[in-house]
Amino acid sequence: MSVLLAKAESGFTPPSAADFEFQPIFGHSIYFTKPVFMVFLSVIVISVFFITSARKAAIVPSRMQFAGESVYGFVRKTIGEEVIGPEFMRFMPFLFSIFTFVLVNNLFGIFPLLQFPTMSRIGFPISITICTYLVYHFVSVKHKGLLPYLKEICFMPGIPKPVYLILTPVEIATYFITRPLTLAMRLFANMFAGHLLLLIFTLGGEYLLHSGLIFKFMSIFSFGFAIGLTFFEFGIQCLQAYIFTLLSALYIAGALSDEH
Amino acid sequence: MATKDEGAFWSIIGYLLSGFLIWGGIGWLADHFLGTHILFLVGMLMGTVASLFLIWIRFVKE
Repeated sequence: MSVLLAKAESGFTPPSAADFEFQPIFGHSIYFTKPVFMVFLSVIVISVFFITSARKAAIVPSRMQFAGESVYGFVRKTIGEEVIGPEFMRFMPFLFSIFTFVLVNNLFGIFPLLQFPTMSRIGFPISITICTYLVYHFVSVKHKGLLPYLKEICFMPGIPKPVYLILTPVEIATYFITRPLTLAMRLFANMFAGHLLLLIFTLGGEYLLHSGLIFKFMSIFSFGFAIGLTFFEFGIQCLQAYIFTLLSALYIAGALSDEH
Repeated sequence: MATKDEGAFWSIIGYLLSGFLIWGGIGWLADHFLGTHILFLVGMLMGTVASLFLIWIRFVKE
């Protein structure tokens, strides 16, 4: 706060990428910063929530059990059953873990006191994407065999031979580069931009509040916008968790399908 | 149905991106080593054509 006040005297400093870098919490270890701590916290929160909601499972569900089951039911119905099809049960643990993990870490972005979406540090989306990447390639190789799988990627049926020269590089790039790239970038960029937007309106409002009389009045609008955008962010954060899981499921479904 | 449409939407973006990336990249590299200036543009156009063709096969023809 005192830093901010000092800055207010010398003009407004807009938030930048530097606001996403944190000092280590313990000593000088770069492995113990706020985002890392929040990831561990999310694992604890998710585990505690779903263990308590499933522990005393009853036919007439308690409120806790109902909450847990509706989250699971949502992932199972709209993502698992609809996208993957009859074999979806094998992948439910994976999809459900991804969904809850991404969702909780995104929601940290608007959670009071934490207020930082973990997924706005690119390392975290990348590591989840690596899991999805390995899973869908592994499922493909196991389901179709390595050579038929590569053949299916490189040579799609029903195309005159010379055209393969142009299409094959694009197909290879789609499967091995663009898919994981877009998966990680979409989540990262959405969380990064959303957090930056909130920072701009909150810090801007605070700066205006410490300026002249008319500006003090204007700061109401800035804070109002920040509050409105917080609700907007809530929607984006849920949507991004859903889309990430949905696309993972789609890639797995593609791996399981016999023909295109 | 909405779920499928959403999937198709992102797959189409993926195809377009990889078309640009690969053929644009090849064109840029060719420009770099041959000292020309036109191949990057040619590569981009070729990539677009390739992506659109793939999208047509995957999503329209079926």
